[in-house]
Amino acid sequence: MPPSRTKTVKNKHAANGSGISGSKATRTGPVDGIVKNKKGPPPSSKPSNSKAIAAILKKRRKKTYSEKELDIPKLNMITPVGVEKPKGKKKGKVFVDDRESMNTILAMVQADKEGEIESKMIKARQMEEIREARRVEAEKKEGERKAALDETKESLRKKRKRGGKPTADEDLDVKDTLLTGSNAVKAKKKRVSFA
Amino acid sequence: MRPLTEEETKTVFAKLASICGNSLKNLIAPLDNSPTADRYVFRVQKTVRLHDFPPMRSLQMTSTNVLGIALQTGVYYVLLSMANLATTVSRDNLLSLGTCLGKMTKTGKFKLHITALPILAEHSRYKIWIKPSGEMPFLYGGNIVKAHVGRWTEDTPEHTGIVVFSMDDRPLGFGVTARSTAEARRLAPTGMVVFRQADAGEYLRDEDSLFSSG
Repeated sequence: MPPSRTKTVKNKHAANGSGISGSKATRTGPVDGIVKNKKGPPPSSKPSNSKAIAAILKKRRKKTYSEKELDIPKLNMITPVGVEKPKGKKKGKVFVDDRESMNTILAMVQADKEGEIESKMIKARQMEEIREARRVEAEKKEGERKAALDETKESLRKKRKRGGKPTADEDLDVKDTLLTGSNAVKAKKKRVSFA
Repeated sequence: MRPLTEEETKTVFAKLASICGNSLKNLIAPLDNSPTADRYVFRVQKTVRLHDFPPMRSLQMTSTNVLGIALQTGVYYVLLSMANLATTVSRDNLLSLGTCLGKMTKTGKFKLHITALPILAEHSRYKIWIKPSGEMPFLYGGNIVKAHVGRWTEDTPEHTGIVVFSMDDRPLGFGVTARSTAEARRLAPTGMVVFRQADAGEYLRDEDSLFSSG
């Protein structure tokens, strides 16, 4: 079936006259001047049985759902947490002006602060103890090192007082003596010479 | 002018508690034992700070919110009877009442002003006294160095609120300790012991902005 052509009506009210109710064009009868008898067919008698009425009523009353009933989100997007306001909650700010609640808040805050300061002080004390222990340890080590150095110095001084340390040459001589078993100078090699 | 909300009360008390000790509860205690005794309360008042907008100074402003000008949310410490009387003055016309403790920032923090010094000095937990030679550097906005310390409260932890006094017990300002007392003993004379937060010199230096008089 070919698609039916649509007809463009420039002024759809023009068919019924000027479009203004009560205007001359609307009041006057048909253009051709023939007035037809307006007597239509007599209204059909009402159906007597109640079943028919019920059927008609049933037909008419189609259930329509409101937006609320459908429970469709208003915006087709995610609602941020902050935007959604809890139902049944008081609008606006909640003031604190009575003494009791002020005292409660104060006590809470003060307990918090007290704990904070206390922990700070405990921490500071612990740190101080650690520092003190480290200092004592470092001092002890330093003392030991110094004592060792002093000892070495003292021993060296004592040696020098005894006659001083032998030199390197003297050391070699001592070795020779030990090897030959005597202090005499080594005999020279025999040589033959022609005068 | 309105009372503080629960959150705001917490913030204000937390800040005050960092400087004041246990005597903080005396701040809100009733003046006497009678059932209808007067007491001190906290109030928030938004006031225009015209000095922030020099071109706006000449303008006659009726509704500040319409013009979108920054408002200073001041927190005032005031007698309840006076706060009740102040409700007869319209918000726009009320400039200040009681003692201004500080201001609430837009991020919900509370900043103490030098105007809160008399209250803080009375209830402070930790104190530091500075020598006459250190008064001027402090009053000009400097931090306190060890060389200027006359004496201070024993067992003061670091990074805690402290009120600064002159040697003749006049409160000069307040700040935050940089070192604990134990640590400060080993410190060099030029080492910082207290970071300044507010000093009495602000009454002159920030004369224009301290009070929102426009």
